[in-house]
Amino acid sequence: MFAYVVRRLAATVPVMLVVAIFVFSLLHLSPGDPAIVIAGDQASPADVARIRETLGLDRPYLQQFVGWMGRAVRGDLGQSIFSNLPVSHLIAQRIEPTLMLMLLTVALAVSIAVPLGVLAAWTAGRWLDRLLMAVAVLGFSIPVFVTGYLLAWLFALQLEWLPVQGYVPLVEGLWPCVRSLLLPALALGSVYVALIARVTRATLLEVLGQDYIRTARAKGLAPASLLFVHALKNAAVPIVTVIGLGVALLIGGAVVTESVFAIPGLGRLVVDAILRRDYPVIQGVVLLCSFVYVAINLAIDLLYTVLDPRIRY
Amino acid sequence: MSAPPIGVETDARSLASRPHAWLAHARRHPGLALGAMLLSAIALVALLAPWLGTVDPAAIAPARRMRPPSAEAWFGTDALGRDLWSRAVYGTRVSLAVGLSVALLATIGGLAIGLLAGFVRRADMVVMRVMDGIMSIPSILLAISLIALTRGSVGNVILAVTVAEIPRVARLVRSVVLSLREQPYVEAAVAAGTTPMRIVLRHVLPNTIAPLTVQATYLCASAIIAEAILSFIGAGTPPSIPSWGNIISEGRALWQVAPHMVMLPAAMLSITVLSVNLLGDGLRDLLDPRRAVRP
Repeated sequence: MFAYVVRRLAATVPVMLVVAIFVFSLLHLSPGDPAIVIAGDQASPADVARIRETLGLDRPYLQQFVGWMGRAVRGDLGQSIFSNLPVSHLIAQRIEPTLMLMLLTVALAVSIAVPLGVLAAWTAGRWLDRLLMAVAVLGFSIPVFVTGYLLAWLFALQLEWLPVQGYVPLVEGLWPCVRSLLLPALALGSVYVALIARVTRATLLEVLGQDYIRTARAKGLAPASLLFVHALKNAAVPIVTVIGLGVALLIGGAVVTESVFAIPGLGRLVVDAILRRDYPVIQGVVLLCSFVYVAINLAIDLLYTVLDPRIRY
Repeated sequence: MSAPPIGVETDARSLASRPHAWLAHARRHPGLALGAMLLSAIALVALLAPWLGTVDPAAIAPARRMRPPSAEAWFGTDALGRDLWSRAVYGTRVSLAVGLSVALLATIGGLAIGLLAGFVRRADMVVMRVMDGIMSIPSILLAISLIALTRGSVGNVILAVTVAEIPRVARLVRSVVLSLREQPYVEAAVAAGTTPMRIVLRHVLPNTIAPLTVQATYLCASAIIAEAILSFIGAGTPPSIPSWGNIISEGRALWQVAPHMVMLPAAMLSITVLSVNLLGDGLRDLLDPRRAVRP
């Protein structure tokens, strides 16, 4: 087990290295002088020189990369060109709303999707299953901002149950904060719910065909206990895997959701940075998000042995 | 995976010989039929845009700003008085162009990389680590960081989304190649001294067609969504070209007083993606490539 953990950890190093090289090289892949690209069309030669100086673009490529990597590992992601503040500082300011949104979305989505997937598997082939799977296809097909506007129109504008936009920080209380994020989380979670429900249904269908399930049924076990205790436990690995892989969808979706609901999170930070060509900020956020994604999936890989004792490394 | 499911061939044969078999076929695969029908209708809308009661989608008419949907302006007008029906109809062209181009380019790129990784053991390790790395960057963020460097244009959107999608195709092709290499008939071909090129063309490529077709439809759906998202946040198709993402983005400031400015183009976008997804799910059931993964 220990050897496996070490091996698995070591395997993430090349992946993160590729991410870092990619994120760093983007600037150099662009046609022309990166300093001019960042400075924009209306920049004076002095601005261009300042940017070249700040980013160290006058040094050799490898030296730049090693320096950048070394600082990034220590949490120094450079300085914003627009505001001159450290990128890590800007990220720290904006991380709470995004983190809360993600946590709420995962919690809501998993608690909606898994029971729905189980229900679909239990009623496989009948109308309820077909209805649920049709809704899942809809979930895949309606882009997150469309779901966002629909939910906001219905629950905020028409019914006036929830706020239309904005974010209430956690310091003002957990419930006000969660309340301000309910609609964004539901909108962001719709694709995720569809994904998890489909995988839950497919995996559970396979498990339900096994002998021990027939035995459990023969001895008269209640369906709820059969499904949620006996069957779901053995279906856990693929479900947890897709929950981890789906986080990539959530990170991408959060950028849009934050724009729809005016949430001052990392997504807004990136969108503002694109419009200002504030490249260090974009690099910092992309690097952080990729790191979090890799770390989550690493943790899930390590969880497998806990979830399924049959898995040995 | 070595041979297509028997049902496919018989279906195809019966379709060719008996025209009314189309109906029976559609009844057996309602999702596929519905998806194909909707998508054909949408493609027609894109092709026939100038003849569908549209006016110049960029024509500004300050006197008719923010009109709700009516008999003369079916989708209403936007904050500049532009006709939203015309804009939405012309937007179909951008979405379909992006969806089809990304599906095609990412499939070709992924096929080449996947074949390389599957056949050349020395390249496999390096190529797949690079693919893993690219896949670890959430695809919208990857596309954003590529586009932030260049000017937003339809071509750049296609390029950025393609780069983000290639690794998934490459992984799919590689897994097909690896399982095929173990097949007795491929081993036999190798033993008989068949050239690698001929093995790829005759024995491997035909087996990638089914899973790649399904994968390409999912790529198309996710590329259409990606274009809309990028345009919506201002990093995609330039505002001078009407695309669904742009129209929704422009209607954003006023959507609480004029929801039609957002909801109608959003509905067209959703229906288009839905029809591509229905087609993909239908093809998957028909061709049964279990490996195809939803991007």
